[in-house]
Amino acid sequence: MAEIIPLTPGGPSASGEPFKEGACKLHPQTMCPAFGALRVLARIDGAQPAMVTDTGCLYGLTFVTHFYAARKSIVAPALGTAELSSGKVQEAASAAIAEAAREQNVSVIPVISLCVAETAGLAEELLPTEVDGKPVVLVRVPAYAIHSHPEAKDVALSAVMRRFVERAPEPEPGTLVLIGEVFPADPLMIDGVLRKMGGRVLTTLPGRHVDELRLAGRGAAVAALHPFYRDTVGVLREQGVGVVSGAPIGVDGSAAWLRAVGAALDLDEEVVERVAAEEEATARAFLATRPLAGATILVSGYEGNEMLYARLLVEGGAHVPYVSTSIGQSMLTAADEAWLRAHGTEAIVYRKAIEDDKAAMAHWSFDLVIGTTTLAAHAKEHGIPSVYYTNILSVRPLFLSGGMIASLSFVRDLLNRRPLYERMVAFFDDGQ
Amino acid sequence: MAITLIRDISDTSSYWGASWVFGCFPDVHIVCDAPIGCYNLLGMAVTDYTDALPHMANLTPTAIREEDVITGTARALIRTVDDLRSLKLLDGKRLIVLSTAESEMISADHGRLVAQIDPEARFFWSRSLEQDEWVGRERALRFAWEEYGRPFVDPAAPPRPGTVNIIGPSLGCFNAPADLAEVRRLIEGIGGEVNLVYPYEGSVASTPKLAEAAASVVLYREFGEGLAQDLGRPYRFAPFGVFGTTAFLRDLGALIGLPPERVEAFIAREKRTTLQPVWDLWRGPQSDWFATVDCAIVAGRSYVEGLRQFLGEELGMQIAWSSGRPRRDDEPDNIEIRRRLHAKAPAFVFGSINEKIYLAEANARATQFIPATFPGPVVRRTTGTPFMGYAGAAHLMQELVNRFYEMVFNFLPVELVKGTGDRGPQTGDRGQTSRHVEPSTSAETIPWTKEAAERLSAALEQVPYLARISASRSLRLAAEQAARGRGATEVTAEIVEAALQHGA
Repeated sequence: MAEIIPLTPGGPSASGEPFKEGACKLHPQTMCPAFGALRVLARIDGAQPAMVTDTGCLYGLTFVTHFYAARKSIVAPALGTAELSSGKVQEAASAAIAEAAREQNVSVIPVISLCVAETAGLAEELLPTEVDGKPVVLVRVPAYAIHSHPEAKDVALSAVMRRFVERAPEPEPGTLVLIGEVFPADPLMIDGVLRKMGGRVLTTLPGRHVDELRLAGRGAAVAALHPFYRDTVGVLREQGVGVVSGAPIGVDGSAAWLRAVGAALDLDEEVVERVAAEEEATARAFLATRPLAGATILVSGYEGNEMLYARLLVEGGAHVPYVSTSIGQSMLTAADEAWLRAHGTEAIVYRKAIEDDKAAMAHWSFDLVIGTTTLAAHAKEHGIPSVYYTNILSVRPLFLSGGMIASLSFVRDLLNRRPLYERMVAFFDDGQ
Repeated sequence: MAITLIRDISDTSSYWGASWVFGCFPDVHIVCDAPIGCYNLLGMAVTDYTDALPHMANLTPTAIREEDVITGTARALIRTVDDLRSLKLLDGKRLIVLSTAESEMISADHGRLVAQIDPEARFFWSRSLEQDEWVGRERALRFAWEEYGRPFVDPAAPPRPGTVNIIGPSLGCFNAPADLAEVRRLIEGIGGEVNLVYPYEGSVASTPKLAEAAASVVLYREFGEGLAQDLGRPYRFAPFGVFGTTAFLRDLGALIGLPPERVEAFIAREKRTTLQPVWDLWRGPQSDWFATVDCAIVAGRSYVEGLRQFLGEELGMQIAWSSGRPRRDDEPDNIEIRRRLHAKAPAFVFGSINEKIYLAEANARATQFIPATFPGPVVRRTTGTPFMGYAGAAHLMQELVNRFYEMVFNFLPVELVKGTGDRGPQTGDRGQTSRHVEPSTSAETIPWTKEAAERLSAALEQVPYLARISASRSLRLAAEQAARGRGATEVTAEIVEAALQHGA
């Protein structure tokens, strides 16, 4: 690897004062929460979504769904003053469901009820549970109540899970169900390692087919790779499926996770130990180069898995004083938060606003900002290398030693790009 | 009351339209009385992909929460404005508070509250539950004139001769930078002076200046005409095509009192410069294609009328059908557009991502899709892609001819390069016939039944003209190969049908 470009002085902030979050939280940073649900639902083969909402909401959500969820036509009833004031929400939803059911090869009709419809009131008991044998599933995702895009993924996944999961009387021994929208190669890498331990990945959710939801009930255990699938994990727990929390992230995280999975799946302890040790050795060999030593990095996203990424960076030698996310604090976030705080992270902000992130930018000097679009733009205006968290996360593996090497190598390359960012800002921000 | 169904909605609400107008003003800050989703989709997600702006810097939500839905949004609004003030984000700015569908749903009318918070601030009731983006934009433009313009204008002051406003270009308008640049070039070309581009280059402070112009050019038929009428001066719509633009220039010149010889000199110069490629392509073989292909147009009202006029009337292309926005009752809605595109896709489809999806659903590979409207992520920020004016005519013609070339390329047989150790490249569309010394059996003619030939003809009728030769060859090959594979002595209609089902 090339010699790293000189970085800003690391360590605590210049002022020495403790960090304070933004005085106001004016601009919450999250994609529209409902989009998380639409993304999960629109990607299921044969799912024909019916959205119940006003036209502005419909336009925005259809736009982003068509852009980065699925090339899938979306049906909705016109829902304006006339319909709302005459109490036609129920009738409108039913009309959209009927239209959705006319499509060929429909596997499920998710009815996505949004702010306006939820305020008007949509009664689940008055909706059909199926039309011509096509299952109808109501998913309530008013943005005013859900607060973040990842948490709406959980709402959607748990809703279809409740409908389709079938608990097998005898779970398939040694099988693990993965939960989390991950890079497609990640489940394959995890499966490869599990097979060496005598287990395997049964399926990964949210997936592309309702059969995968049915299959989930046959798993011996479930692993929520992302810390916001609370309801979904709850549904599986009710079915008697054992739960492994955390994710195979970095050196510490991967080994601990593999041991926990081994225990949950009742695998041979000696084999598990050997495989976990192998993984750890591969990762440690890579980390011995301390690829990110000396770098101070800000991690801010709205995907809900920011702390996992921050852990990787810290193991790679980076100083990550600040991590922010759109999700709320819960039992599922506790382990990552504790690990980060034990490794030099001073502030972890849940349900963050851009004001929090900008306060962090002012408090520490960063060599790299991995942030939301707004924050990344702000960092670029200051000549700091920065990228949009979602884009860089979604295009490479993250887990186990393979994911670690891919992710850290990429971050290392970004750090070396500082002159490009400085030259741009010098040209465009010339004080005119 | 029957429920109207929507498929892949094309037009957004008046809250969006109004925000896209007010958002252009650097001396305005908008507070939308909205849940975070309405803020994020408009201010960060969608505007990023339609206007290529990282985000709308002058938009802040009240971030309606569950408790606000029950008790009202007044407290959230007061808190938001206080926070904006404490961060000094309102310094030197006029505050405009917009209602949204959700705040209207709970009847959060803050007209009085906004006046108490700040006498200079204004409340805009979006009527988002019943009005679309076009009405919203129009109302926002007229609102800005009534609030920030008219009261500060001397009604007796005469206009400045030779000056023109350009009304309409705002955020969320497809291709606005390029069309604006062309219309500005045309106005200046004949000797006119652009007084104010509104709202794109306007502000609250500059709004009274609208009154100074002798006339206005309204960029879009979808909205803006109302403001032009309120100004009480003559106005014209922006032009399309060679002849449409020429008529416009003479008309506008007369309207604002420019010498006709100056206008004619500009037109003459344009023929030798901007329009030269149109003349050259017209004289070349390329223009012959225009008579053989059809197209469908889904776009804003201006684009639909402009493209019908230029492509249909001036170049002689067949316009299969069109649907403008705002949509008229006699035009197909998206349910019908989807049905038509699935049944028979024209050679060219101008449209939004919706049409692109319908074409993908129908696997209409022989159709060229050209972005002509939102929704859909597309960067249209350079000045080099106009649809309007002379430059628009030249650009469209160039674009269409390049798409013809692309179509031809896509249907040429491919020579697949094989790795070392193979005997050599394979030939044929499907790479299935390899080069042997012996002539292969596929070289022999196999008879077709009458029904099979008729089925082939019927299938080819559905293929755009230009792609027909290639399609007929590949379909014929596929059917004949299938027949040989079955050991049949002739190609039957059933074999053709099977080949069609396999996507031949």
